[in-house]
Amino acid sequence: MTRRLLLGFIVALLVGFGLLPVLSMFGRSIFVDGQLSLAAYGGLLQSTRQWTLMRNSLALSALVTLLTVVTGTPLGILLGKTDLPGRQFLAMLFVTPLLVPPYIFAVSWFDLLGPDGRLAGLSGCTFILFSIFLPIPMLLTMVFLRTVNPRLEEAGRLCAAWPTVLARITIPLILPGVLLAGLLVFLLSFGEFSVPNFLRFDVFPVESFTRFSAFYDFKAATAAVVPLAGVTLILLFVEAVFLRDRTYLLRPSATPERSPVIALGPHRKWLFALVTAAGFLIVVLPVVVLVSRSAGHGNYAEALRRAGGSLGRSFAFAVGGASLLTVFGFFTGYLVQTRALRCWRAVDSLTVFLFALPGIVIGIGLISLWNTPRTNLVYGTSAIIIIGYLAKYTALTSRIMVTQLAQIPPTMAEAAQVAGAGWLRRLALIQVPLARRGLLAGWLIGYIFCLRDTDITMLVYPPGRETLPVRIFTLMANGSPGLIAALCVIMIAAAVVPIGLLWLVSGLRQGKVVE
Amino acid sequence: MRIVDLVSVSVSFGKTKALDDISLQIDTGERIVILGPSGCGKTTILRLLAGFITPDSGSVSLGGELVACDRRLLKPPEQRDLGLVFQDLALWPHLTVGGNIEFGLKARGLPRPERKRLLDEALTLVGLRDYAGRKPAALSGGQQQRVALARALVLTPGLLLLDEPLSSLDLELNIRLRHEILRLHEKLGFTLVHVTHDRDEAFALGTRVVVVARGRIERDGSVADIRKYYQTGAPRAE
Repeated sequence: MTRRLLLGFIVALLVGFGLLPVLSMFGRSIFVDGQLSLAAYGGLLQSTRQWTLMRNSLALSALVTLLTVVTGTPLGILLGKTDLPGRQFLAMLFVTPLLVPPYIFAVSWFDLLGPDGRLAGLSGCTFILFSIFLPIPMLLTMVFLRTVNPRLEEAGRLCAAWPTVLARITIPLILPGVLLAGLLVFLLSFGEFSVPNFLRFDVFPVESFTRFSAFYDFKAATAAVVPLAGVTLILLFVEAVFLRDRTYLLRPSATPERSPVIALGPHRKWLFALVTAAGFLIVVLPVVVLVSRSAGHGNYAEALRRAGGSLGRSFAFAVGGASLLTVFGFFTGYLVQTRALRCWRAVDSLTVFLFALPGIVIGIGLISLWNTPRTNLVYGTSAIIIIGYLAKYTALTSRIMVTQLAQIPPTMAEAAQVAGAGWLRRLALIQVPLARRGLLAGWLIGYIFCLRDTDITMLVYPPGRETLPVRIFTLMANGSPGLIAALCVIMIAAAVVPIGLLWLVSGLRQGKVVE
Repeated sequence: MRIVDLVSVSVSFGKTKALDDISLQIDTGERIVILGPSGCGKTTILRLLAGFITPDSGSVSLGGELVACDRRLLKPPEQRDLGLVFQDLALWPHLTVGGNIEFGLKARGLPRPERKRLLDEALTLVGLRDYAGRKPAALSGGQQQRVALARALVLTPGLLLLDEPLSSLDLELNIRLRHEILRLHEKLGFTLVHVTHDRDEAFALGTRVVVVARGRIERDGSVADIRKYYQTGAPRAE
């Protein structure tokens, strides 16, 4: 009974934080003065601008997906399966852009290439988003490689060299992971707001944000995000039908041996040089540009004076958000893994849908539901930001917990039950300690995503409570380039330093988390 | 002719010594069974022969050619002319039965008619002619074993390594497949190295049995010798 009540309470909160805002937003857009009206959507099909936005959004997402998958998969194989030197360092290097708000790298490249249009439009957005989302197929390839039974590759090695085994055995086996990575990149690119906004490229999220923030035209803003939600739903349906059962759990390989490592032999040196050069170009160069631009003129002192409070709030919200996400993720993961309530599949689908939904949609939804005199107690405080984080990012921690809990033999809890332990005691003394690596990994990922969030926070933050990504974004309109660069460097440090320290002390290296 | 020659081979995994200075010679056409408890090092011997690991010290020769010595891999697995049936069979789940068996033929670049002929022969050999288009998951345990055997034999290797492939089967099926392996050995004439922890299986399949314990060869002799060895009180394996 305790179990059902607690899990039911978590599900109710999730519905209140995520589903109801989206439904409320949609409902308000189709009712005018209490009457059903589709006026806000009238222009959607007729206006050529809408078709331009759709074409731009789809072209950007498709190009970014294609480039990241085509580059990230071989990169993941090189870093996850070969004897390339410095694999762990290089993997961390390529992950860095994913840890910070996407527009930070756009700012840097804009500084580097100049304001004369060399970094603009579709090609500019594609390049920036490619550099940011490249780690997604890279990491998923590395993780899925660890799930391949080494025997399957060894059986191939008995009669074929590594290139054939990779092409015919390994890659087909990890294909669901690669496709999942492509789907994720497509959805993230489709909902990305800050980079296209900075580089003046018209896509749906920018249109929606402009309608909302500049004109406060709620219905038009909602109508502009409906195509985003529609495409998201279609793609998630495809994922549910074709991929979910194959990527649901990142199962460890059936045998305890390590995956066979490919000896690169004479190719080792030039491949190392190539990967290092790519890492330098994509990650190091933009950071160096920001650091050099921000040096001198008291830029850092000015940055801390103008955004010190935002930095503190970013840390506080990220820590609070990550901690609550870990709790939510644990219970929703437990629910999905054990199927303790009949609605487990719906809960799983809801978390994934909310994660895939662009932050702009969730932000507008939260405003639609919570911005009323009766709920101002919540909406007027920082709690609304945390609610937004819980709505959007619970899927991440939940999926990690599903994977982690699946690896704990059911007999562990059953032995405790036979010994007389109730559900809460079993949870606290058996399952939580055994799942601690997953909990820590979930917390770290929650921290990263809360810290870098721009879209939701920008829409819902109460006056004077903005976070650092939002502060930088608003200062970009009138701040000096040196000041903006200094703020970007501080933002990168705020994301990378704590994660790096935690990574080092927690023993999460060697990919022990996703085993 | 000597097909396998292990000389003073030692292999360690971290601080654990899996093989401790073992030497083993096998002649062409022999049926040899490596017998021992779990963790004694018998699978390590097979992986050494297959080329998945290299010896920390000592040498491995196949067919008179040095293929690995002192941490150096001189000949990779795909060039060693051997077949291996894994304990968990390792059938590729995304390929059909035909695709699994044909993989090695394609890797060697054989033309399509030749591949088809060899595939048909292999399927006939193991009695699975009608199953070429099925995925491994759609087969019974015994049928999967036979697919794994066909995949290992289709390239007509000189040396067939079997890593406890029968251990998960019930007794009736286990016995039936022992006969199948003996029939194939007689028909194709390969050298068989079979690994097991089951004495009955060892005595049924081998003409020579090598008892391994704690990474060392405890005894090496004919089936009759090893039977006697156990009857007269062999030291208990830990």
